[in-house]
Amino acid sequence: MTDLEQQIRHASLEQFTRRHFLAKCSTGLGAMWLAGLGQNAFGAGAPLVKDAARPLMPAPPMLPGKAKRVIYLHMAGAPSQHELFDYKPELKKLNGQECPQEFLEGKQFAFIQGIPKMLGPQFEFKQHGQSGAWISDRLPMLSTLADELCFIKSMHTDQFNHGPAQLLVHTGTQNPGAPSFGAWATYGLGSENQNLPGFIVLTSGGKNPDAGKSVWGSGYLPSVYQGVQCRSQGEPVLYLQNPPGVSRDIRRRSLDTLDRLNQRIVTETGDTETVTRIAQYEMAYRMQMHATDAFDLKAEDEATHTMYGTEPGKESFANNCLLARRLAERGVKFIQLFDWGWDSHGTDVNTSLQEGFTNLCTRIDRPITALLTDLKRRGLLEETLVVWGGEFGRTPMQENRGGGNNRFVGRDHNPGAFTVWMAGGGVKGGTSYGETDPIGYESIKDKVSVHDLHATMLHLLGFDHEKLSYPFQGVNQRLTNITKIGTKVVKGVLA
Amino acid sequence: MTLKGKLGWILATGFLTAGTAPGEVRFNRDIRPIFAKNCTACHGGVKEAGGISFIFRERLLVEGESGNIPVVIGKPEISEMIRRVKSKDPDELMPQPKHGPPLSSKDIATLEQWIKEGAKWEEHWAFMPPVEMEISGSKKQDWVSAPLDRHVLKGIESAGLEPSPQAGAAEWLRRVSFDLTGLPPVVEDLSSLEKEWETNGHGARERIVDKLLASPSYGERWASVWLDLARYADTTGFERDPHRDIWPWRDWVIKAFNEDKPYDQFTIEQMAGDLLPDATPDQILATAFHRNTQTNSEGGTDDEEYRVAAVIDRVSTVWTTWQATTFGCVQCHSHPYDPIAHDEFYEFMAFFNGSEDSDLGNDYPKMKTANAEWVQLDRETRAIREELDAAGRAISGVKWNNLTAPEFKPQHGTMRMDEAGLILSEGNLHNGTTHTLSGASGTFDALRLSILPKSEKPADWPEMGALVTDFRMEKISPDGKRTPIPMAEVISDHLFGPFDPVSAFANAPGGEKFKRFLNPVGGASGGIGEFPRLSGPRWFVLLPEKRVELAPGDRIEISLKQGGSANESQGTFVKKFRIETALDDHYAALRTDPERAAKWEKVFSHRDRIAAIKVTEVPVMRDRNKAAKRETRVFARGNRMNKEHLVKADVPDLLRGKFQAADADRLTMAQWLVSAENPLTARVMVNRLWMELFGTGIVESAEDFGTSGTLPSNLALLDHLALRFRNDHQWSVKKALREMVLSSTYRQASKASPALLEKDPKNRLLARGPRNRLSAEMIRDQALAVSGLLSPKVFGAPVYPPQPPGVWNSVYSGAAWNESKGEDRVRRAIYTYVKRTSGFPGFLTFDAPSRDVCSARRITSNTPLQALVTMNDPAHMEAAAAFAKGIRAHGGDLRGQLAFAVLAATQIHADEAMLSELETLYTDLEKELVNDAEARAKLGGDAAMTLTANTILNMDAALVR
Repeated sequence: MTDLEQQIRHASLEQFTRRHFLAKCSTGLGAMWLAGLGQNAFGAGAPLVKDAARPLMPAPPMLPGKAKRVIYLHMAGAPSQHELFDYKPELKKLNGQECPQEFLEGKQFAFIQGIPKMLGPQFEFKQHGQSGAWISDRLPMLSTLADELCFIKSMHTDQFNHGPAQLLVHTGTQNPGAPSFGAWATYGLGSENQNLPGFIVLTSGGKNPDAGKSVWGSGYLPSVYQGVQCRSQGEPVLYLQNPPGVSRDIRRRSLDTLDRLNQRIVTETGDTETVTRIAQYEMAYRMQMHATDAFDLKAEDEATHTMYGTEPGKESFANNCLLARRLAERGVKFIQLFDWGWDSHGTDVNTSLQEGFTNLCTRIDRPITALLTDLKRRGLLEETLVVWGGEFGRTPMQENRGGGNNRFVGRDHNPGAFTVWMAGGGVKGGTSYGETDPIGYESIKDKVSVHDLHATMLHLLGFDHEKLSYPFQGVNQRLTNITKIGTKVVKGVLA
Repeated sequence: MTLKGKLGWILATGFLTAGTAPGEVRFNRDIRPIFAKNCTACHGGVKEAGGISFIFRERLLVEGESGNIPVVIGKPEISEMIRRVKSKDPDELMPQPKHGPPLSSKDIATLEQWIKEGAKWEEHWAFMPPVEMEISGSKKQDWVSAPLDRHVLKGIESAGLEPSPQAGAAEWLRRVSFDLTGLPPVVEDLSSLEKEWETNGHGARERIVDKLLASPSYGERWASVWLDLARYADTTGFERDPHRDIWPWRDWVIKAFNEDKPYDQFTIEQMAGDLLPDATPDQILATAFHRNTQTNSEGGTDDEEYRVAAVIDRVSTVWTTWQATTFGCVQCHSHPYDPIAHDEFYEFMAFFNGSEDSDLGNDYPKMKTANAEWVQLDRETRAIREELDAAGRAISGVKWNNLTAPEFKPQHGTMRMDEAGLILSEGNLHNGTTHTLSGASGTFDALRLSILPKSEKPADWPEMGALVTDFRMEKISPDGKRTPIPMAEVISDHLFGPFDPVSAFANAPGGEKFKRFLNPVGGASGGIGEFPRLSGPRWFVLLPEKRVELAPGDRIEISLKQGGSANESQGTFVKKFRIETALDDHYAALRTDPERAAKWEKVFSHRDRIAAIKVTEVPVMRDRNKAAKRETRVFARGNRMNKEHLVKADVPDLLRGKFQAADADRLTMAQWLVSAENPLTARVMVNRLWMELFGTGIVESAEDFGTSGTLPSNLALLDHLALRFRNDHQWSVKKALREMVLSSTYRQASKASPALLEKDPKNRLLARGPRNRLSAEMIRDQALAVSGLLSPKVFGAPVYPPQPPGVWNSVYSGAAWNESKGEDRVRRAIYTYVKRTSGFPGFLTFDAPSRDVCSARRITSNTPLQALVTMNDPAHMEAAAAFAKGIRAHGGDLRGQLAFAVLAATQIHADEAMLSELETLYTDLEKELVNDAEARAKLGGDAAMTLTANTILNMDAALVR
């Protein structure tokens, strides 16, 4: 039992007899958050019963899970599988030829129109590690960890625009309004550390992801499960620091008075929400210290900074990777990183494969390699699921925006195929699952949908994706969108 | 009887009036819950395992796929359902063992009795009309001060409880002030009320309530509730999430509440104000309710996909807001629990599918806000244009001829003419491409351009738009001399969409006068054709200024530039078309008709006058021309790309009432919503008012009154309130609220004894008064009001109060949070800029929704992040510093000042113990800070009092109402 829980119990017991307290526990303090309570039998699964006063209390998963937490590295903009992991010698041969009509029939593109030209892989590929994974020369450091990685090359989605596709990847539906994976995970598992948010989001690349904050929203779940965006610059959590001039002692002094005044209110009104509020103010006080400490990169030694390529005080993907490790150590359940800028259309130098894309690869290569190595060294990798990917793939054709020629070499959006890799918590390292066609255009073998990926990740966390549900709009909703039939756990990637 | 049982009894009384014999099985009370719990997951509206559905009675009375009949009326012994629930064979037993436990013998007996008694069906309570129930036999009639109290009292007494004592004046005043105006009471009102509380309480309360209802703050408080439902935001959503000017509609809502616009009128105007006869500017503005849908301006997004998404969102929003029915699921299949069929979703969607908007970047169509001159000019212009076109369309029997000896000069791709005379453009076209063609034609008066979709199957339409943005025609003499042919006008099959076809002449020689028709909407600014989608075959007759006389050997050359792009990136090309000419005096006569010329002049001058009106433009509803109405087809399994049969606009049979499907439109649908036969509209609204006042609705799932929602805690009360609202109060929200807040129920003290907490922890019976946390808006507004900072300014463009840097970081967007200056920093929360992809942090933390979609209920959370906001947010510290000044200005000794502070912030008369606590805090802080000049300076001088004020504003009593 955590300190906090003890405190709440203590506070409660001061006010009520034990019998009353138990009555409250069984019915929920103030409000139980489930509309369909008592009518749980709709559809498969039943909503979890959550105590409104302690919505983030750690809860065991439904099944034994190998992963205790997730670090999700999302490359917003959708990196090209053709230039990183999905090597296609056939495509190389077709380079420069006009795209055959059959590849264009019935397809929707964001920018390609008319007849584009095929574009071969732009960089050299080699096989790495015992597993012989094909990885391009853009990620030389990560290549050394090939045997830790489990590639899914047959990912596909049905969205070909960034906003909707990112929403699909993070919420299971392309329109805003559904809870994100991290929200589901904290709803299901609570948080190990009551002094930090259970679901933390870190962004780099200067922008939020295209779909905005909906990708870490709580949707129809109670708002307490939404991701908390933390910053590596300034206050890590909004309003975390005391106002200028207010020391920690002064804050403590004010809180003591506040607690006593609120305790009187509990006595006078019997309002159980007030009991909760007292505990929340105390938790906020502790969070001020714990979060500040968790985000203090200066506490790391020089060797670590060198390993990650971190520079404390800046907003960078490297800093976020190091923070991810620090947060994982502290029991945060879901650590979501977004790195923006991967939309390599070739309309300008920053979106060209040769320059912009290459720079981004360099930007992530060292910190991701460091993160995996560091987690492993600390014994955290086996219980931490690390996922890397974008929201869709890119076309084997060169983009020809407006029907003309782009100034630089780039590729358009392709929902038909993309690569995701996973490492750590319960996945089979050194494997590659699924295949695309000879030009990397469509997934053809062992296809994995975004919903299959979600089901698999939930499985690794100890949840049956059909049973982790919440009633909304008359149905027990779940992360693996109930309208998508046939969603399955990808057994082939499990260790 | 358990408490739950008693609640069930209260509910059941709603059906006893139907006149049934005691002991008889009641479908809603006894049978439906068994079905819902055990059967409908597999045998419902979504999944109909074995061809059986427990949603419709008639489906249970006929053979399933097995050939057996689930329910044989009067004969349980041969009813398959009974056989299966009793079966000992695990393969036959229902529910299947893997899906759930077997039915209890009591449930089976109930089912058998029900079949014996005739298997009578009842609609779910919410779909039956509300009934006023007689209430009798209460022990405490003197407690009742409004009719609604009788129903509450009945519920309280049925559970063996008693109402709580009346609250003190302060508790009631704080509650009612926040509930009605969203602001704390002023200290003067409290002292006058307290004087009269015991002697003339009723009169004093009435006076206060009437004052609060008349305050402009009332509209601001209640508009907040409506904006959540309407998903109001100042941006359009999705990737760039750009700005949208729609705040004049927000002001319309505030005014509507303040004027107490009756809810039926409020409904009709927002739903279909544009269709009212002689609609006023404000009535048209009201329809912006439906334009709060998101527009996706991300590059490459399918305009049709997001147009349809917006239409579907309108359907879902109407059903959640007015009917509290989960309609969204019917998009893909019949309703899982309620009798609404799949097709009925699309029939309802047809009410909205005819609107002009189509996910265009500039949110076309818009109105020049609430401007009467614009309304008149726009209406007249459209009427005259329609007359002009109609006269042209009336010409018949024209002989049209293909060009002979055609030659094609495509800028990109290839062009050819097929044997039927159709011109086909193929290959790789670049945006902005021009098709040039020439041919011989003989002298002509008119040229007809027909644009055809590629597919001949209407179910494949609409296709990508097809738009000639610049039309030119020249005569080429045999010697090569070129003579431009100036164009006069276009007659089209129907007029609708953002472009008048004459705009295609604006850049041609002699086309200067058509520049006034250019209308940039994102991707194009004018042209002939259809944009952004081509809904089917179209034709346009283009009239040159004069008859085009061609001598033998003369040719004409036509060039069609296609400079538009839809989906923010993709060319809108004309790929299948026909060009013909005709020599016909009827067209010649049109050209020389002076009356017609005068009408055109009027159109020109109206366009100019419209352009000169410089006011905010707001997206509103406007339907396409009747003849050009979009067809609505059922989407197979909800998939837009897979369209099935056509449907016509209609409401679901379940709730039809007296609705006539013939000539149905948004207006008749709106009238149906507020008709006396609709069982839901009034109930849903009073439930919402009740929820705002009491914290929980009578139906807790305020967004879902259907089978999957929660049952009403007191149906008789809900029905009484609904009927009173609709009939006696004539849909007046103010009257309904007035009665609720003056009731004995509302006036109870909120103190919860342990006994009461145990019996009714969620206060569903209302044997005590409500004690709700302040809403996100109220928390900010209270801090500003108590500290004296709050600006009284009403209405206008959204404002940017202080927000930490770096919160806004949208992609491809230069939008910045430019902090407001002066009083705009301290306006009421409702005026704060709402950006969908990045909400105002202080509001999100206190449970404000993102406004992406309709939100019928905020679920109150209680988190540490909230404490960080009210303790540390610089805006709250600024308020605390200002409050400290006010406290000092009150004068008197320290204890007096602190007593005033507590009273102002919480309406609590601080007792000695509380004052001592605060006094000690203050003196401790002073001691701590006395030698720390720097800290004092940072805290604005009066540091100890500022921190004490901040502490008082963080008291639980300051965060609830």
